[in-house]
Amino acid sequence: MTRPAESTGPIIVIDDDAAMRRACEAALTRAGYAVEVFADGPSGLKRIEEAGAGLIVVDLKMPGMGGMEVIKRAKRLNSDIVAIVITGYPTIDTAVEAMKTGAYDFLPKPFTAEELRVIIARGEERRLLAIEAKRLREERRAQAHKFITFVSHQLQSPLGAVQQYLDVLRYQAGDSMPEQHRLWIDRSAKKVTEMLAIIGDWLTISKVEGGRLATERCPVLWQELTPEILENHATVAESHQVTTIDEVPADCPPVIGDAIALRMLLSNLVVNAVKYNKPGGEVRVKAEADQAEVSLSVSDTGRGIASDQQEHVFEEFYRAAGGSAAGTTGTGMGLPICKKIAEELDGRITLDSRPDEGSTFTVILPRSPTC
Amino acid sequence: MSTTARILIIDDDEDYRASTRALLEGEGYEVSEGPSGREGLAAASAQRPDLIVLDIMMESPVEGYSVLQALKFHDEYGEASSIPIVMVSSVQQDPANLFPMADGVDMITPDAYFTKPLDIPTFLGCVKRMLEK
Repeated sequence: MTRPAESTGPIIVIDDDAAMRRACEAALTRAGYAVEVFADGPSGLKRIEEAGAGLIVVDLKMPGMGGMEVIKRAKRLNSDIVAIVITGYPTIDTAVEAMKTGAYDFLPKPFTAEELRVIIARGEERRLLAIEAKRLREERRAQAHKFITFVSHQLQSPLGAVQQYLDVLRYQAGDSMPEQHRLWIDRSAKKVTEMLAIIGDWLTISKVEGGRLATERCPVLWQELTPEILENHATVAESHQVTTIDEVPADCPPVIGDAIALRMLLSNLVVNAVKYNKPGGEVRVKAEADQAEVSLSVSDTGRGIASDQQEHVFEEFYRAAGGSAAGTTGTGMGLPICKKIAEELDGRITLDSRPDEGSTFTVILPRSPTC
Repeated sequence: MSTTARILIIDDDEDYRASTRALLEGEGYEVSEGPSGREGLAAASAQRPDLIVLDIMMESPVEGYSVLQALKFHDEYGEASSIPIVMVSSVQQDPANLFPMADGVDMITPDAYFTKPLDIPTFLGCVKRMLEK
């Protein structure tokens, strides 16, 4: 019997009982599996990480790190790992606990070599099914991504061509054209520009969904990005009569992230804070860090978001009804993009808002371990 | 200029060619078109225009750059290598990011670079300046 080609890594057996290790090794080797045995949790876990093991057999009661803890940590290394628990103290409670920890199956000692082989074969099957299911999920996602990319490009170039016709028409015939006609051309151009912005956001969000936007994991300093982003939007801020204030401390520790994605995230938050502000208002960017995380907040002094709408602002295509969105243009995808970037980088984004006082969006990301 | 300046537009999109042509003709330039990289190169070689507006051509992004490289570096287009090239792209991205080059290799850069939608006054100003050189 040979192991299937898709298998990755050896089966790792972790048991403090030397006789049991020998028995498992012999039984599984005879069945054609690559097996490695370890006497304690830490050395087994180290090997799981190195070898990318997909199936483990763990004794529940071991001195030092117990079996439950080993499984928990192994799941953290590989969330798809199939764990089989063996124990000399089988009770309903331990079985239930093992299953809750994410163990796939439970084998009470003593067991025969055949019993072990049957349970391992079942575990292997389960592991391969999980791999196949994952592959299908990814394939489907890739297809969705391909579709949205295709559609967007198909829409983008004709719209771009229309935009240029309108621009040239306006440039060449602007003054000689009846006022009404010029107004129509201006409106058409504005609508085309908005459609192009939506398509641009679709393309962005499909990249985020495909996990292809925040691909880098490098230390990124908010104190370097913030002045750059505020500078980029200085003209817009001025036209809205909004003052931008950079209060990110110079010694703020770096976050782990992708500089391009984080630039897009901060840019979206700053644009919103300017756009939904009041004339004479302020946009304030602050940051603070604790041992594990860095929080960056962007506050505005605008009209705020009603409490019943706050939970929806991160939903795709949602734009707050009534006052705050009125008279502004937007694609309704800026905040979903921010949320997806933050989550992709193992972080989160929160909103604190009071009508008529303003809104604060806070992005919380893990600190870079190098510092 | 004493004679009318001649401009060649190389772009695979018919509508972009039409509107760019109208724009440039409106400024009094004589305009010809090349609907593909290959035809554009042939036209550049035969007509020796005073300036080329070259689209990056997103259907095959390498095409625009191949034309650029051929005009600037291939001996067969030797005399054409001095024709100023204004490159236009619908990609809002630095071309160096689009085609990352190994360290130490210089990116062949056009004489000017614009992204669509064109800022018409800036574009025309740039074309005018280059033709005066």
